Amino acid sequence: MDILLVMLAGMVVGRFVFPAAGKKANERLALVCTLVLIFSMGVMLGQKDNFLQDLFSLGAASFLMFLLPTAASILVVYLLTERFFVKKGSRGKEEPR
Amino acid sequence: MVLLTIGALLLGLVYGLAGLDLPVVTFLTGHTDAVLYLLMFSVGISVGMYRGLAAKIREYHLRIFLIPAGVMFGSVAGGVLCAALLHMPWNYGAAIAGGMGWYSLAGATIGRLVGAEMGSVAFLSNLMREIFSYLIIPCIALKLNYYTSIAPAGATSEDTTLPMMLKYTNEETVVLSVLNGMICSLFVPVIISICL
Repeated sequence: MDILLVMLAGMVVGRFVFPAAGKKANERLALVCTLVLIFSMGVMLGQKDNFLQDLFSLGAASFLMFLLPTAASILVVYLLTERFFVKKGSRGKEEPR
Repeated sequence: MVLLTIGALLLGLVYGLAGLDLPVVTFLTGHTDAVLYLLMFSVGISVGMYRGLAAKIREYHLRIFLIPAGVMFGSVAGGVLCAALLHMPWNYGAAIAGGMGWYSLAGATIGRLVGAEMGSVAFLSNLMREIFSYLIIPCIALKLNYYTSIAPAGATSEDTTLPMMLKYTNEETVVLSVLNGMICSLFVPVIISICL
C-alpha cells in the first residue's frame, strides 16, 4: 500500500511540478534503481543456503512451472487484447517511444 | 537494457556465492526498500507526465480488468496443466502458478502451507517468470502487440518489470501495466489461499 502511495506522490509531482526537460534524467534514475534492485536480489539469492542445490534439483519442474503458465497467460491476453483493445490496423503500437 | 539486467543479476549471484562482504554492497542490499520507493516515485513521475491518463481510465472502463483477468486465468490454467504433467495435485500447480512472478510471497507461503519442496518450486518458477520477462517483453512488444507484453510480467508489471514497459512500449501500456500489477498482486494471496 505504501508503495502505491509513493507512486501516487510521484504522479502528482510528474503532473504538476516536474519539468519536461527532466524526462530523460528520470528514465535514467529508474534504470539505475532497477539495476540496484536486481543486483541486490542476486546477492540475496547467492547468499541463500543451498541455493545452487535447490536450483539444480528442482530446476526442471520449476522451469515447466514457469513456462506453461507464462505461455498460457500470453496466449489468453493476446486473444483478449486483439479482440477488445487493438484498433484495426494499429497493432496497439500507435505511440512508439 | 536486457543485457544490463542479466549482468546485474549474475554479478549479484557471483558476489553472494563468493561470500564477499563489501560495506557499499551491504548498505545497498540493506536498503532495497528505499531503492524500491525511489523507483516507484520515478515511475510515478513518468506516469504523471503522461497527459492522457485519466482519459484512458475513463475510456477503458471495465476493459481495464480484462488483462489481469487474462493473466490470472492463463497462469492458473497453465499451472493445472503442469500439475497433470508432473503428477502432482492440481491445486498445488494452480497455487504455484498463481504466484504470477511474486516469487518471495509465493515461495514463502507455499513452503509453509505445503512443504519446502513445493515452496522451492514456487520460488524458482516465479523467479524464472520475473527474470525471463526481461527477455520476453521486448519480443512480444515487437511481434504481437504492446498490451500482451504485460502478460509474462504478471504481478511484477507494476514494479520490477515496469522499466521494460517504459522502454519497449508506450505510456498507455505503462498505465495498464501498473493497474495490472496492482490487481494481480492483490489476487496472488487470494489464489494461493483458495487453492491450498
